[in-house]
Amino acid sequence: MDVTEILKSLTDTFPEVISEATAESEIRTRAYVDRKKAKEVCQYLKDSLQFDHLCSVCGVDYIKRNEFEVVYHIASYDHPVVLALKAKLPRENPQIESIVSVYWNANWYERETYELFGIIFKNHPNLKPLILPEDMLGEWPLRKDYKGFPNKTARNLV
Amino acid sequence: MAIVIPESIIPLIPWIRGIIGLLLIGIIFIGAMGAVWLERKLSADIQTRMGPCRVGKYGLLQLVADAIKLFTKEDLKPLNADSLLFNNANIFMLGSVFLMLVALPVGAVFINGVEYPLAVTQMDISVLYIEAVSALSIFGIFMVAYGSNNKYSLLGAFRNFARMVGYEVPLGITVISVAAMTGSLNIVDISSAQGLHWNIFLQPIGCFVFFVSLMADMGRLPFDQNESEEELIAGWITEYCGMRFGLGFFAEYIHMILGSFLVALLFLGGWNLPGFIANNSVLGLIAPTGFLLIKATFVLLVIIGLRWAVPRFRIDQVVDLSWKKLLPLALLNLVWAVGLGLYLGA
Amino acid sequence: MEEQLEPNEMIIHLGPQHPMQPGPFRLNLRLKGETVVDADIELGFIHKGIEKILENKTYLQGITIVDRICYLVALVNEECFVGCTEKLLGIEPPERSQYIRVILDELTRIQSHLLGMGEFGEFIGFVSMFMYTIREREEVLSLIDMITGARVTHSYLKFGGVRDDLPDGFKEKAIPVLNNLKKSVGDFEEMFHTDRIFRERTVGVGVLTADVAKNLGVSGPVLRATGVPFDIRKNEPYLIYKDLDFRVCTETAGDCFARVQVRLNEIRESIYILEQCLDQLPSGPLFPENTYYGRRTPVMRVPAGEVFHRVEDPRGEMGMYMISDGSDKPYRVKIRGPHYPTLQALPPLIIGTTVADVAAISGSMDGCTSEADR
Repeated sequence: MDVTEILKSLTDTFPEVISEATAESEIRTRAYVDRKKAKEVCQYLKDSLQFDHLCSVCGVDYIKRNEFEVVYHIASYDHPVVLALKAKLPRENPQIESIVSVYWNANWYERETYELFGIIFKNHPNLKPLILPEDMLGEWPLRKDYKGFPNKTARNLV
Repeated sequence: MAIVIPESIIPLIPWIRGIIGLLLIGIIFIGAMGAVWLERKLSADIQTRMGPCRVGKYGLLQLVADAIKLFTKEDLKPLNADSLLFNNANIFMLGSVFLMLVALPVGAVFINGVEYPLAVTQMDISVLYIEAVSALSIFGIFMVAYGSNNKYSLLGAFRNFARMVGYEVPLGITVISVAAMTGSLNIVDISSAQGLHWNIFLQPIGCFVFFVSLMADMGRLPFDQNESEEELIAGWITEYCGMRFGLGFFAEYIHMILGSFLVALLFLGGWNLPGFIANNSVLGLIAPTGFLLIKATFVLLVIIGLRWAVPRFRIDQVVDLSWKKLLPLALLNLVWAVGLGLYLGA
Repeated sequence: MEEQLEPNEMIIHLGPQHPMQPGPFRLNLRLKGETVVDADIELGFIHKGIEKILENKTYLQGITIVDRICYLVALVNEECFVGCTEKLLGIEPPERSQYIRVILDELTRIQSHLLGMGEFGEFIGFVSMFMYTIREREEVLSLIDMITGARVTHSYLKFGGVRDDLPDGFKEKAIPVLNNLKKSVGDFEEMFHTDRIFRERTVGVGVLTADVAKNLGVSGPVLRATGVPFDIRKNEPYLIYKDLDFRVCTETAGDCFARVQVRLNEIRESIYILEQCLDQLPSGPLFPENTYYGRRTPVMRVPAGEVFHRVEDPRGEMGMYMISDGSDKPYRVKIRGPHYPTLQALPPLIIGTTVADVAAISGSMDGCTSEADR
């Protein structure tokens, strides 16, 4: 399937949900998706456009814009296109629907994003810390305003 | 017995027997050390590396160093371990091999053409006694595995019982078939009756079944599920420290040496030699024992080498092998042996 | 998992320290006799916080850190990171550097597969197998040592090229090693095929079908053993893989034996790729012309943007998502390790099998917990 066909099909099916859909190259494309409909878009991708491989789910902290982003990288076993779906979340109360029912291996990715950023995935079967110890829950280490990281970098040499 | 014993030393005979027994225990421990050294060097050869090579020439003193290390270790006991079982399991493990040693002849001397087997006692039912007593070690293993209060050891203990129950039966049946063909349960008679026609040629299936069951009895790879190091840490002996572990370890190797002697006596012709050597006065003293030792060492090398050449069975495959494959073969061998015995006897 | 235990059930921890594991993780098993009824994994014992560290180090320092994601296949991790940065910078390394990178990647693949097969043999009790494969691996590690100067954690790649050229006479030293390896792989294959006990322990154990594997999200030799020909080197070729002739090795059975067979075949394909590379190696500069990328790149500011780059790790598909905000340090790096989804798929696979099979299945996955935890 071609990149342009995929983007056209996506924007036609979900006109108001997908915004800023761009094709960066023959095999990479990205789009912003409304956070309330992310799960339906994923279901459509898996059923109709043969995107059956979830590469990763990660969170990014844009502290200057005062929001989080959850980025889904979805690929396929048949064609080499990788789609990056991004959902913007407010920084005060970040919540998004979990996509475990669509892609089974999103389970651990979402647990890790939760414990590193504090993004809550609703209807997740088992939202517990995975990598960090239990007593570090609530510190959200990967946020940009995390105070506990030592900051010895090469900044002085530049 | 044609040797005349002077009257004066008859009251001292129990003491003499005791001293000989202690000497024999010492010798067998040194033999076990040699077997461990042999295993380490042979396994290193198979795996293209060098074994112990620094302590003493060719690493011969490595086991002495290991024994010193084991003696000086702290003896730890888990908090909730059952003291009675935990402390006394070594008695069963070592006791079973020493009781085996009592009746097993380790050689023979020929004086004036008469054969004197070198055994501590001569029993009429010695082969049955040896096999029965070798099954006592299972109690020791189960005591330590169950009394350790450790789930890994417990899994090892359950696997152990399943294995032992399955393999005692073919072992006993092959031993009985050899005894039935010879007509006597005395191991000296079985060994002497072989002459040039060793039992391995007369009962090849029996020898094969006996060898496999013996490996399973001793708990050697591919049958060492109870101590499979990768799944169960160290299996049944996880919680033993210091010399307790050392005694269990040595008990296994002594069992291996005695098992190889048993194979040599029952199936490989014992110490039988052509008549002209036996009637010679000097050779008659040392050749039969030497010949038996050579055969036993050969069997020992096969047992050691097999451990490093194959992977390990799963426990359900082990049980399957014993009940569905070895038991019918052993029964077949029994029928064959009885028929052969009647034919030869007639 | 901790609900009411029945009388003959028990919970056992194949805990953080166990001879059977390739790295520390806790596997809680609920056993009924010897059969596994329920399983659960806890990670985090070797979490190093690499993603947070990378946000506070420059890109050049990041190469050394990315080595440590999985210390055994360090060069492939570096390849992913350097590939991401080069895409953001908009440069491409010259041909000679690309060939050298492919040579190192394939050597890493060979030594990782040898170690994986040896460990698998050890987990089912075949200790001699471990010694034989480790001995072959030593030769390959000497070759890598000759080029990069280290056996693990090399820090050899640079943006736009590699740190040093190949040493003189490398091809003459490499060809005998590769020929010896071809013979050894033949010996190993014969050993696996004719050993009756090995076949009984591995054939039919831990079977994955293609649909289940795709659903669980696994990749790498585990997926290729079920029949799905998914290989990043063919799907989206990077470096010079589009010019090389090799095939994707698949099997159809999906059990532990098939995975070992796939790894053996991949070693053969890697040897073939190496021979082609050594023949076709062009001469030329190591870094792009008329740029300041070279051995002395002190500090560089990467233009703002984001990129997702994937490479074929010996264990599967490794990806990195890098966001740059125009400064000299990355804004966010997300590392997608290949063993993470495979480890997640382990509990559903082992339910219903015995404890001995847990060792066999987990060994055939050939994992590295260090990259699952990062």
